[in-house]
This record gives sequence, C-alpha cells and structure tokens, in this order.
Amino acid sequence: MSIEKDVVSRAIKGDGGAFAQLYEEHFDRIYRYVYLKVGNQAEAEDLTQEVFVKALEAIGSYKWRNLPFVAWLFRIAHNQVIDYLRKQGKVGKVVLEDDITLVSGSNPAFMAERELEIEELINNVKKLSPAQREVISLRFGSGLSVAEVAKALGKNPGTVKALQYNGIVALRKLMLGDR
Amino acid sequence: MTRKIEDIFDNCLESIFKGESIDDCLKAYPEQAPELEPLLKTSLVFMQRFSAIQPAPEFKARLGSQLQAMLYAKQKKAERRARIPIWQRRWALAMTAILGFLLIGVGTLAASAYALPDGSLYPVKLAGEQVKVTLAFSDIDKAKLHIQFAERRAGEMVEMARQGKGNEIFMLTEQVANHLDKVYVMEQPPEVEEKGPKMLAPTPTPAPSEGAEAYSKGRDAEELEMALSQSRAKSLAALRNALDKAPEELKPVLQQAIEDMEEDYNKTISIIESGSSQ
Repeated sequence: MSIEKDVVSRAIKGDGGAFAQLYEEHFDRIYRYVYLKVGNQAEAEDLTQEVFVKALEAIGSYKWRNLPFVAWLFRIAHNQVIDYLRKQGKVGKVVLEDDITLVSGSNPAFMAERELEIEELINNVKKLSPAQREVISLRFGSGLSVAEVAKALGKNPGTVKALQYNGIVALRKLMLGDR
Repeated sequence: MTRKIEDIFDNCLESIFKGESIDDCLKAYPEQAPELEPLLKTSLVFMQRFSAIQPAPEFKARLGSQLQAMLYAKQKKAERRARIPIWQRRWALAMTAILGFLLIGVGTLAASAYALPDGSLYPVKLAGEQVKVTLAFSDIDKAKLHIQFAERRAGEMVEMARQGKGNEIFMLTEQVANHLDKVYVMEQPPEVEEKGPKMLAPTPTPAPSEGAEAYSKGRDAEELEMALSQSRAKSLAALRNALDKAPEELKPVLQQAIEDMEEDYNKTISIIESGSSQ
C-alpha cells in the first residue's frame, strides 16, 4: 500500500492524526487554488474552510477510484467555488478586492510590488479560457502533476499538456501586451 | 517519432519544478530551444508569482483546530457506538427512529420523502431508509433496498443539478457507490474469519442436499442482476437528460458523476454475475 493510501485509509476510519496530516499536506494548495478563483482573501478563507469541513464530513464515504486523494479534494474545492460564484452571479469572473494583503514582510516597497504582480497575475489568468485557467491554476498555483490534474478534471494527460502549453503561450502574450 | 512540443515543454517544466535551470532543459532540446526559452521564462515568472499567494498562518491554525475539534467529537461518538454490540445498535437505531417518527408525526416522515441533501428533513429521510434496511427480513430484501436507494440518490442528483449544486452531486455519487457496495458486501459473522467481500446472493456449486437452497440463491442473483440493470438504465438516463439541460459550469461534475456511477453499477453487476456463474 502506498504511503498516501495508508494515510487516507486511516483517515477514512476516523484517525484524527491521519486527517491532520492530509490537511497539512494540502491546505496551501487548496487555498491558493480557491484564491485564484475568487480573488478575495476573506472569501478564499471562507471557501477553504468549507472545503475542508466538507472533506471531513465526507471522508468516511471516500471511494478509491484510481483517483489520488488530492484530486478528490480539488473536486470538492472546484464544486464549492462554482456553487459560490453561481450564487454571487459571478460565474466566469474573478473579482479582485481593492485593498488586499497577500504577502507579508518588512519592506513596504517590496510588498507593494509583489501585490501588484499578483494582481496582474490574477487579471491575466482570468482572461484565459475556462479549461486553460483550470489547468494553469492547478498546475502552477497548486503544484499538481499533469496526471493529478488530469484525474481531477476528468481529462486525459495529453489534453492537460496541450491546455498547459496553450495557456502559457496566451499568458506570455498577455504579459507582453501589458507592457 | 517527433515529440510534440507540449510534451517537451511539460518535461522541461517538471525539471524546473525539481530545481533544474532553464538552460539545462534547452541543452536537452536544442532544436526546440528558440520556441521553448521564452515560454519557460514566462512559466518561471508565473511560478514565482503563484508562490507569493500565501494563506495567513493564523487562519490555517484556527481552521486546523476547528477540524480537530470536529474530529474529536466524531471519534467520541464512534467510541460510544462501538461499546454497543452491532445487533443491539441496529435494533436500537430502528427503535429510536420508529419512536422518533411517532413523535415527530407521520406528516414529517411523509414530507421527508421529498427532502433533498441540502434540506433539514434529509437526515430523517436517510434514517427512514436505514430503518427499512434494518427491518428487512432477508439479505436479498436488503440488497434490493440498497438498489432502490442508489436510484433515489440518482434522482436527487438530477434535482441538485437543476439547482446548480455541484458539490451535492459529487457527494451523492459517493453515496450511490456505497449503496451499490452494500448490494454484495455483507457483514462478516463474528465467529467466522473470512477474507474478502462476501456475496449477498452467492450461487455456490450446489451439493445434492443443498439443491433447493442453491436454486433459490441462483434466482436471487438473477433478480438482483435484473434490478441492478434496470436501476442503472433509469439512473443514467435521468442524469444524461439532466446533463443536456445543465449550465456549462456544472457539466463537468455531472459528466464525471455519470462516468463514476456507470462504473460502479457495472462493477456491482459483474460481481453478482461472476458469483452466480461459479
């Protein structure tokens, strides 16, 4: 049994330590994914919380379908974001809050520059096609492998690679256009 | 064979994720280097920007504590349940549910039949189903109930699709799989140690003295196969119909649900079939 399978199996049986391990391992990437979708820290925190609460409630009925655990978690996150955006009437849009604090540090000039870069990043990502946006967010934002992205999105790895390539080509054009 | 640029680009990205430099990759693919270089540089910029998005540590710690508290409550509940023998637990559940239904009234029970996963009466509906399973006389009756409930979950998925609730669809898919699992998995009798799942409707090679029983079990398996096939057809047709009408953003989750559900039904049917052909 793989290490991940062992941890997930223990979490399914209600082992708190195992669930905590999965939380530690995947929290940042889920948060980043959600943040890229909603572009708002408070909402990203609320949604990330809902994702993990839902995962905790549902872990007992988790089914192994040759699907890595992270892909299962991302499906919950994806659905949660879609539900949220639909309720807000924002499907297909990312709204950036005016005053965001994304990075912390002691150098205000550096922080301001970083925040501008992130704002530019989110604005550019939202101009991609929905499928490219999904792949770029999962691959770069959350650090999933091509195989994991393919499983999470129900696509084949070849399609994911093509979406990734075309997404980066589009992002490069957008970046050059911004200057 | 010439490799696609997407594959080469992905190989380079993987190397960069692992800490190699862009130059290392360009040396490996000199012919594609002019096309790859600007894209890899863009990727590197994006990787750095993405990694700057960091959750607040206090939020992460707060949510972690909240989840631990929820887990602790769940574990305590499970420990309390574990102290009661399984048959007592089932009958206690059935009796509690019956008493509960009498107290809250037949009207509530009837109303719960239409409850959906996001509704307040949904737990009443699920408890009612559990009571039905507990009170069923035979394993075949229990199995048929699980098939019926799997189909009911599919109906709920259609309604959730209509309301645009993707996560409920995803969770219901898991519930369908669990109902279908219970069609062929039976609790191990405490005194017998066996490995692997046991068929609810097995058809072992009939010994002369077991002829009548084997005949009955063979018929049970046929009945189950038929019930499963009909349930699969109805559930998938309803979901495909919902898929046609669903908004674009919901289509991937519905499509995935259809594929998973089809796989689960097929797996269950093939296990029943292989059991009955032995």
